[in-house]
Amino acid sequence: MKKIFLALLFFSGILFTCASTYAQCNAELYINKSMRSLANGYQFSKSFRIDGRGGARKKIEYTCVFSKDTNYQINISGKDGGAHGIIGTLYDSRRNKIVTSYYNNKFSPGWIYKCRATGIYYLSFTFKDSKSFCGAAVLGFRR
Amino acid sequence: MKKFYLGISALVYILILSNTALASKMNDNPKVVVLSQPYSVSDDAIMQILQAIPSPLEISMLIKELGTVYNKTDLNNSDFVSKYNTSFKKALNLGVYGTDLGFANIYSKNQDALNYLSSVKKLADGLSIGQFFDYQTIKKLAESANNFDELLMTTTSNFEKINYHLSQQGRDHLSILLLTGGWIEALHITTIVQQRSKHEDLKVKIAEQKIVLDQILKVLQMFKTKPEFPGLISDLNELKKVYNEISIETTYGQPTTQEVNGMLVVMDNNSSTVKVTDAQIDKITSLIRSVRNKIIR
Repeated sequence: MKKIFLALLFFSGILFTCASTYAQCNAELYINKSMRSLANGYQFSKSFRIDGRGGARKKIEYTCVFSKDTNYQINISGKDGGAHGIIGTLYDSRRNKIVTSYYNNKFSPGWIYKCRATGIYYLSFTFKDSKSFCGAAVLGFRR
Repeated sequence: MKKFYLGISALVYILILSNTALASKMNDNPKVVVLSQPYSVSDDAIMQILQAIPSPLEISMLIKELGTVYNKTDLNNSDFVSKYNTSFKKALNLGVYGTDLGFANIYSKNQDALNYLSSVKKLADGLSIGQFFDYQTIKKLAESANNFDELLMTTTSNFEKINYHLSQQGRDHLSILLLTGGWIEALHITTIVQQRSKHEDLKVKIAEQKIVLDQILKVLQMFKTKPEFPGLISDLNELKKVYNEISIETTYGQPTTQEVNGMLVVMDNNSSTVKVTDAQIDKITSLIRSVRNKIIR
């Protein structure tokens, strides 16, 4: 009986920790933060929730349609502070990498992409040295 | 002793349950009734495609920047709101009015914007998602007309919240209708402005919607068994037939990245060319008018 009790206690502990970590990602906070950091002249267009569910999700990917002759700004922020722990990467329709926010061994808060080809793009978010696995990114545009 | 262990085990179990419930409450507004299990794989997949549909604001801004004149009759009549009685019609026209609201805001037509805002509020309430639409703040911003950027940002972000919460409630079918309605209205406005102005940029923009239509149809197909969806899908498939004749060719090159004041700036070396004829634009104009008329009447 004692062994069963200890095993139950152990697994309960794991479940409790997982549930607590998962509860803590309020992406809305980071959407607002990222939105307010868009550069002058950029209109807010979309937001992307980055919830790694406590590390269970390694990659979060969104599809975007970008238009040529439009500048797009991506702003990332997360619970670890600034953009720390979150890597955003943009790929074109052929999955060629265009830009990654982990640049020169540091987490950049985002990028400005001067688009010259209308099409499907893939915006993916992964984690590196993240404690929270939680954040958000926003997309702004300017003609 | 056995009773002691059982008691402790029961206590731990209750603790876990309450923690999970708390977790769920912290993530969602307590007013929301979660109708389906959130975060299933298909929900994520739908959400990811939904995110692909660009904000109608992008087209509206282009129209304004080309120097075209605001014409109220290009937009839906805000008084028609009482005609929309089904969830299907409400969701589609919520999207339509959302685009019209953005358009009126961009042209600083405050009274029109307030009328659309009121219609948006009625439809959002009718779909039980009015609590996610901050009507008072947007109204205040629209009335003051001093903070254009803030107004657009708040309006767009509120529509996003509505969409997100619909999805969280397992009502993705309404979410895609909202986006489809917004897109149809934006395309309709673009076609009629293009007919008047003959701007080459608008012609290209209309043709480029081929990519967006593909994304929209991808999600609509997932709900083809829902009432009223087959008709809309069939109409948009007719439009797709015309779009299939239009080609968008892309050439690929290596992008260049540089850091400017801490921000990465990427120069794209890809380029795309659209091949579209005036006859194809005319067909699209006529078809989108017909689809839109079915929605707003």
